[in-house]
Amino acid sequence: MNVELANFPYLSAILLSCVVGLLVILFIPRERETLVKGVSLVFSGIALALSIYVYCAYDRAHGGLQFVEKLSWVEPLGIHYFNGADGFNLPLILLTGIVHFTGVLTMWELRGRVKEFFAFAFVLVLGVFGFFMSMDLFFLFVWYDVSLFPMYPLIAIWGTTRKEYGALKLFLYLLAGSALVLPGIVYLAVASGLHTFDIVALMQPGALTPGQQRFAFVLFYLGFGILAGVWPFHSWSPVGHVAAPTSVSMIHAGVLMKVGAFGILRVAIFLCPIGWQYWAPVMAVLATIGIVYGIFVGLRQTDLKYVVAYSSVSHMGIVGLGLSTVTAEGLNGAVFQMFAHGTMTALLFSSLGYIYDKTHTKLIPDLGGMSRVMPVASGYFIVAALAAMGVPGFASFWAEVTVFISALKVYPALGSLAICALVLSALYMLRVVQRTFYGPRNERYAHLPDVSFSLGLPRMILVATMVLFGLFPRLMLDLIQTAVIPFMGGLPR
Amino acid sequence: MRWLILGPEIYFLAVAAVFLILSMTRPNGRRDFSAALFLAGLGVAVTLATVRLEGSLVYGAYRVDLFSQVFKGLLSMGFFLVVCLCSSLNGIEEARHSEFYLLLATCTLGMMLLVSSVELLTLYVSLELASYSLYALVPLRSGGQQMEAGIKYFLIGIATSALMLFGMASLFAATQTTLIVELALKLPGLLNTPMAFIGLLLTLCGFFFKLALFPFHVWAPSVYQGAANQVTAFLATATKVTAMAMLARLVSMGNGNTSLAHVLIALAIISMTYGNLVALVQKDFKRLLAYSAVAHAGYSLIGILSMNPTGYAATVFYALAYLAMTFICFWVVVKVASDGRDLAIVQLAGLHRRSPLLAMALMVGVFSLGGIPPTIGFTGKFLVFTAAMQRGYFLLVLIAMINVAVSLYYYIQVVRAAFLLEPDEELPAIHLSAPATILTVVMVVVIVVGGIFPRYLFQLAEAAAQALL
Repeated sequence: MNVELANFPYLSAILLSCVVGLLVILFIPRERETLVKGVSLVFSGIALALSIYVYCAYDRAHGGLQFVEKLSWVEPLGIHYFNGADGFNLPLILLTGIVHFTGVLTMWELRGRVKEFFAFAFVLVLGVFGFFMSMDLFFLFVWYDVSLFPMYPLIAIWGTTRKEYGALKLFLYLLAGSALVLPGIVYLAVASGLHTFDIVALMQPGALTPGQQRFAFVLFYLGFGILAGVWPFHSWSPVGHVAAPTSVSMIHAGVLMKVGAFGILRVAIFLCPIGWQYWAPVMAVLATIGIVYGIFVGLRQTDLKYVVAYSSVSHMGIVGLGLSTVTAEGLNGAVFQMFAHGTMTALLFSSLGYIYDKTHTKLIPDLGGMSRVMPVASGYFIVAALAAMGVPGFASFWAEVTVFISALKVYPALGSLAICALVLSALYMLRVVQRTFYGPRNERYAHLPDVSFSLGLPRMILVATMVLFGLFPRLMLDLIQTAVIPFMGGLPR
Repeated sequence: MRWLILGPEIYFLAVAAVFLILSMTRPNGRRDFSAALFLAGLGVAVTLATVRLEGSLVYGAYRVDLFSQVFKGLLSMGFFLVVCLCSSLNGIEEARHSEFYLLLATCTLGMMLLVSSVELLTLYVSLELASYSLYALVPLRSGGQQMEAGIKYFLIGIATSALMLFGMASLFAATQTTLIVELALKLPGLLNTPMAFIGLLLTLCGFFFKLALFPFHVWAPSVYQGAANQVTAFLATATKVTAMAMLARLVSMGNGNTSLAHVLIALAIISMTYGNLVALVQKDFKRLLAYSAVAHAGYSLIGILSMNPTGYAATVFYALAYLAMTFICFWVVVKVASDGRDLAIVQLAGLHRRSPLLAMALMVGVFSLGGIPPTIGFTGKFLVFTAAMQRGYFLLVLIAMINVAVSLYYYIQVVRAAFLLEPDEELPAIHLSAPATILTVVMVVVIVVGGIFPRYLFQLAEAAAQALL
């Protein structure tokens, strides 16, 4: 058995904090709701602290895969427990930590089946963390499914609008995606002749023939693309987002869709680079359609949550466009956009959740003048909406700029189309903000309390993150660069 | 001393004798249950004690090796688990309880003899011992559709037995031997002749019937629903495990013949697709499990038809996984339908409040059947698919995975009923006794841990499959 452990297994400690949190919650009597929430907060806090530590402690000068933990799991099948951190997954690990922690805070006022809710949430986040840090295809797939199955109960039990339909649709779509991924990973392990699921070993040039790469890329792109909300496989996502309870929407749009995009990056692009170059134009077309389509459908929505959900589809299209450029800047921008969109959309859903909890409506015509009723809560939403429009000063600005510059170089027509659509998106976000938060005040909601400090805390954290990386984008771009440069350098031409 | 290797068989014969004597005394359900539970527990210990024994008896017609002993271990555990379900055996008259245990014991004995048989006639006789016990067990339930189920099972059973005998006769005619060792030497050269090929296929039919593989599945829905819940649990676990073992043993004689593989691929694809599609519309939980069993027959066949070491190891692993996850579903059926009736899926409503533990166990079991990690059911499927991929059956794996995605629709309906639906009237909480709670937790842990740490189980399965080749 070959054991290769870092001094202290920080990455496994993140996973362990989720597992321990889950187990502790399972043993708390279900009446002790505050205790359950407290325990969730503590363990999600530990996970967040560890992910911040790992993010900061990563040696950028050295680069490469760090914090490596490698254990042989099932020898005859070539399965390893193999975790590692590099410039690609660190932003996403950090994102998961932030979104989960703020999600727990957001759900502080949850009533009814509290214990089950937080237990399922821990399973979900465990799967997401594991997926981002795993460097073994077998575990990658296991984590992927672990993060999917809690979505069904989380949406179907605690959700709102058409929750059972939304939950079932989401669940079946995503598992259909995994039905393509599993044959794909087994195919790679067997067809390469290496009989291993180790991503680093499979990445060696020449492990897979160009034909095999072109074939396997399609499987992974479709399989993970469903989860990433790639047009035309996105239709589960608005329905699912709308049906989900607030913190689940946050995790879901903020993190889980990135699982799909990251799967495309880590598995499809890493292992099948020739397939990537071959299919990149198709990816670019689909991504651009996604951007434009998301914006135009979003224009017609009257439900605030649908507006946000369709903006997610178009923002994930930007990630896809970045990935399809096959350039260093494109990859860099795509990863940064995953992070930026994650925090931004989490904030949108989080502030929206508060308004919905109080008014019990999320229809734009029913609201109106909210900024005079709850100025602080409205403020958070408006800030997030500005970030969604790509206003400078927020992280998403840099991400979008990076992606579009490289897209304009590689695909001038598609790139300019996407930029025009994005200008339109600013228009519709402004329209939503104007109708919901300004204009005549709806007297029905005049007595409602504004968001308190403790409930505002999660939103503050998210705003702070967006502004921090908006003002100092190099905190993240440089880190991503350490992974992008060697990867693009080793690309077969 | 060399008869010691027959320990489990002798032990289960003795168990049968005990219940034969008890059946002649005054009926006493509690006494029968306690005796059965004790004897079954001891049976697991006896069987596990003989796992490492090896030997050959009766002029090479009966072989004790790791393969057979692992399956005997599984059978004894299956027997023990099914006896655990019988604490309130309400579906069967009290006067019949000792006969019920007697038949259960003889059936287990028959299947134990079966997994060690390496000669066609021995194999047939053992199979019939197991089958006739089941023919009597199925209609043992009081009230309901049990006669229809019994007659269906009996008629289809003897028809496939006849097919199987015909197949064996053809095999003998083609090869002039009934010993599997010699058949394995002669068959690969002869499989392109129709007589040997059809002979082998028809011989397999007997076990296709037990496995409820398409087109031998027609008995499954009515028998699953009509037989007492405990009998169905036994049918769904122990006999399936045996059938997987015997198919692996018989197919391994073909030694990688491609036309045999093609026939089996066709059967596997039809079986899983048909089973999953029909299961989508089922309302009764046991009927749903019957169609899910048809689908699982298809999945398990994938490991066998790969005809490589990984494939046979995967089959052994799959058998074990299937035993655990199917049992846990029946455990929930028996506990929720404590009066011995059938259980509609909607009757699971409110289970999350009536018994959170059972609801969780059901979710784990059902997700394991659906192949969602980290459960033992996922690992089983993964191994089976890896084996098929090694033979280059990419399309087969893809079709199987699409089937898995389809099947999740009806599995999620079960979870939905248990966690989301509320019953029309308030139902009392289900209280599990302390041993029942422990058993539930142990089964959940086995399913999850077997999924996370498959290493040792897989090594055992690999070693067992080695004995086969």
